[in-house]
Amino acid sequence: MFSYCWFILISPLAGFVLLSWFGNGMSRQRAGFLGCASVGISFLITLIALTSFLLGGENEKGGISTLYNWVTAGSFSLNMSILVDPLSVFMLLIITGVGFVIHVYSIGYMEKDPEFSRFFSYLNFFIFSMSLLVLAADFFFLIVGWALVGLASYLLIGFWKEKTSAVLAARKAFVMNVIGDVGMVIAAFIIFDHLGTLSFLEVFAAAKTTFRPNDDTILLITVFLLVGAFAKSAQIPLHTWLADAMEGPTPVSALIHAATMVTAGVYLIARCHVLYELAPFTMYLIATVGVVTAIFAGSMAMVQYDIKRVIAYSTMSQLGFMFLAVGLGMYSIAMFHLMTHAFFKALLFLSAGSVIHGLNEEQDIRKMGGLRHSMPITHITFLIGSLALAGFPLTSGFFSKEAILINSYHADMGNIVFWAMAILGAIMTGFYIFRVYFYAFSGQPRTDVTAHESPLIMIAPLGLLAFLSLTAGFGGGMIDDFLVNYFGTHMSHPDDVLLETIGLSAGLIGIVGAVGFYMTGKDRLEFAKQILAPLYDLLFNKYYIDEIYDFLIVKPTRATGAFLEKRAERLGIDFAVDQVGSQVREVSRLISLWQSGSVRLYAFNMIVGVVTILMFVVFL
Amino acid sequence: MGHQFVLLISATIFCVGAAGFLIRKNPLIMFMSVELMLNSVNFLLIGFSSFQKSMDGQIFALMIMTVAAAEVVVGLAIILTIFRTRHDMDVDHINTLKG
Amino acid sequence: MFELDLFELTKATVTMLVGLTAVLASLGVILCSSPIYCALYLIGHMICLALLFLLYNAEFVAAVQIIVYAGAVMILFLFIIALLGGKKEIQEPSTERSLAIVFVVTMLGELFLSATVGPTRPVEGAFDAQTVAEVGGSAKAIGLELFSRHVVAFELASALLLVAAVGIICLSKFSYVPLRRRMK
Repeated sequence: MFSYCWFILISPLAGFVLLSWFGNGMSRQRAGFLGCASVGISFLITLIALTSFLLGGENEKGGISTLYNWVTAGSFSLNMSILVDPLSVFMLLIITGVGFVIHVYSIGYMEKDPEFSRFFSYLNFFIFSMSLLVLAADFFFLIVGWALVGLASYLLIGFWKEKTSAVLAARKAFVMNVIGDVGMVIAAFIIFDHLGTLSFLEVFAAAKTTFRPNDDTILLITVFLLVGAFAKSAQIPLHTWLADAMEGPTPVSALIHAATMVTAGVYLIARCHVLYELAPFTMYLIATVGVVTAIFAGSMAMVQYDIKRVIAYSTMSQLGFMFLAVGLGMYSIAMFHLMTHAFFKALLFLSAGSVIHGLNEEQDIRKMGGLRHSMPITHITFLIGSLALAGFPLTSGFFSKEAILINSYHADMGNIVFWAMAILGAIMTGFYIFRVYFYAFSGQPRTDVTAHESPLIMIAPLGLLAFLSLTAGFGGGMIDDFLVNYFGTHMSHPDDVLLETIGLSAGLIGIVGAVGFYMTGKDRLEFAKQILAPLYDLLFNKYYIDEIYDFLIVKPTRATGAFLEKRAERLGIDFAVDQVGSQVREVSRLISLWQSGSVRLYAFNMIVGVVTILMFVVFL
Repeated sequence: MGHQFVLLISATIFCVGAAGFLIRKNPLIMFMSVELMLNSVNFLLIGFSSFQKSMDGQIFALMIMTVAAAEVVVGLAIILTIFRTRHDMDVDHINTLKG
Repeated sequence: MFELDLFELTKATVTMLVGLTAVLASLGVILCSSPIYCALYLIGHMICLALLFLLYNAEFVAAVQIIVYAGAVMILFLFIIALLGGKKEIQEPSTERSLAIVFVVTMLGELFLSATVGPTRPVEGAFDAQTVAEVGGSAKAIGLELFSRHVVAFELASALLLVAAVGIICLSKFSYVPLRRRMK
């Protein structure tokens, strides 16, 4: 039924293989074309699948396409199969659609890079892995895709491998992601142990009858799955890697660390919502972590000076909103915000990339300024992205974020605390993004570098994404109708004018605050900095989380390692191994005396042996 | 004569050959001792081929002769080479294989 | 039933004598100090063995023994002795030698003991001349066997001889000393 959907996977995989094998010999145009075309094909096939869902009545719940039975071991059976349903098609649309746009943008952004084709082969590899992740029909391939996107992320963060900070950041991201992978694997083990299958549909069907709500087992499963989701989506306490991941090329930040991969955690919870509904405790935990991350990351974003880091913390913060939404059981709202966020965050990153590109790799916003004259188009697109992020009325971010804000109070598990914290997060959002905007685009240039507008191949994707950021919000109802086939419930639209108004004004308050601080002279800013100096330091140093981890985990590990190296290794293991070696040498020296080189002695030994054997023959 | 005669004679010759190999220092004579041992076995084979009324023993003897001929040829060539390089015929002085 | 068969008696006596001669000749090989005498004793030993083969109705192998061993191989030995000079070997008694002789004598005793145990298969009595004559002689019998059942072994033996021929050419052609010089 959906067998053609395999080509969604095959196309980027083929692109990856071709580019990595023959990429070095290709011209830039051809490599770039190949990289984009393979993703474009995936996007077209996804559109076909979407059309079949929209038109076809009987298969609107989707289906599984099985290639063949891969492994059968006892009661365990694993098929090579993909699950094509509204949720996966929805995710694929974002992945391949935004992915395609960012591929095109990369042609311009990476034009001077000597390893152009390697970049595109990695990008294609990422698209393949991410498609595998969302198309997986069972936990096994989900974990495979999960680990592969981690690998792709590692490869792309460390793409400029001559940069030490990039390599370290890649390593950090990889380690954090692997922590999540381990959680996922443990969850899969527990699932298989109790339900005897890993296939999503079978697991969900069986879980409803096997587990009672808030069972020990279901809590364990959901929490371990959550470890994976938190690691991938950079939620507290596994969040430290995302800001460092900005060491990678900007299109990578846009594609992987804003639009697609980091949303995998939200996707995972949405995909497993049947399990999570059986575990309200875990749901509560998700919502709490989500909203705490939202303000936590938002507060850090307010004081950073690296343009990409600000947007990265913003991503964490928005992911926190999504987690809040899924934690409160508003899956389609979360997916809706996921989509709008993919658009405007990709737009922001690509615009930031355009700025960085135009300023010759300058990322510090203190050295930018007045760019609205030299980069008019980038200015407009960045402004649109900022407005959408801040939730300015009638932009896409407004609709999705408003739905989250209002439901954080009105949902079954929602309460005033969640709502208040979410509002605080929204105010911060408006503040930090317009802080960057004012720093970079208004005022006078702060450096001698003359900025130049980016080429058309970078501008066109910006325009497309800007259009989507403005208009995608109106598609909320459609998305809800489409996804209801999977989630079974509609978005709720509680009428509460007071909350709506407060929510609406939250973003505006943030914007006004940014205007107040950054448009009206330095004095007020310096004054605020002095008054709030301790808080400012705390935020600027990212709550010292890295230092705390360093103190709690890295240092003790190093100390233990050094201790063991000095005591156990030198005195125990090395000594034992050395002794074995020298004793063997001594014994073999004794034996080698036997090898005198004298032929007659050898012959004599033979005779002695024959005599001995004959002794046995004759006398026994 | 019975089979025990064959056994005794060939055992004696074999042991004489072994003794010769062990006590002599001249490689040529050591080689001759090896030939003695091979011949004793040949005799054993021929004798028992006769007792068992089977040709197999003779075939074996023939093969041993072939191998012995090849061995003697190669062995003598080696002795010749050793002598040409070392000018010394005492095997006890040839101990480069010492481990 | 005891019946004196003069022919059998003569044959047994001759066999016994030839066997003893062979043993004595072999002792001569290992006891003479001059290599040339050793070689001559070895020739005598070979001829005695050939006679024994004849007495056990193996005419073909006897002929091969004379031609290959007493002829070709011993001629080779004599040539080598002539080439290297038949230096006399001084034989002084040493502990090693006495130990070796002790072990060899032990082995001889053990072999004698095992010889008295008896064959594992019943001995049916010797070939007689008639049986050999029926198949058309020893050479024909061997030939039939060699080229039917043992043809692989035969071919391998011929290959071995070829390898040996090539081997000695290499050994004599590329001597050790110039090789060393070339490596420098």
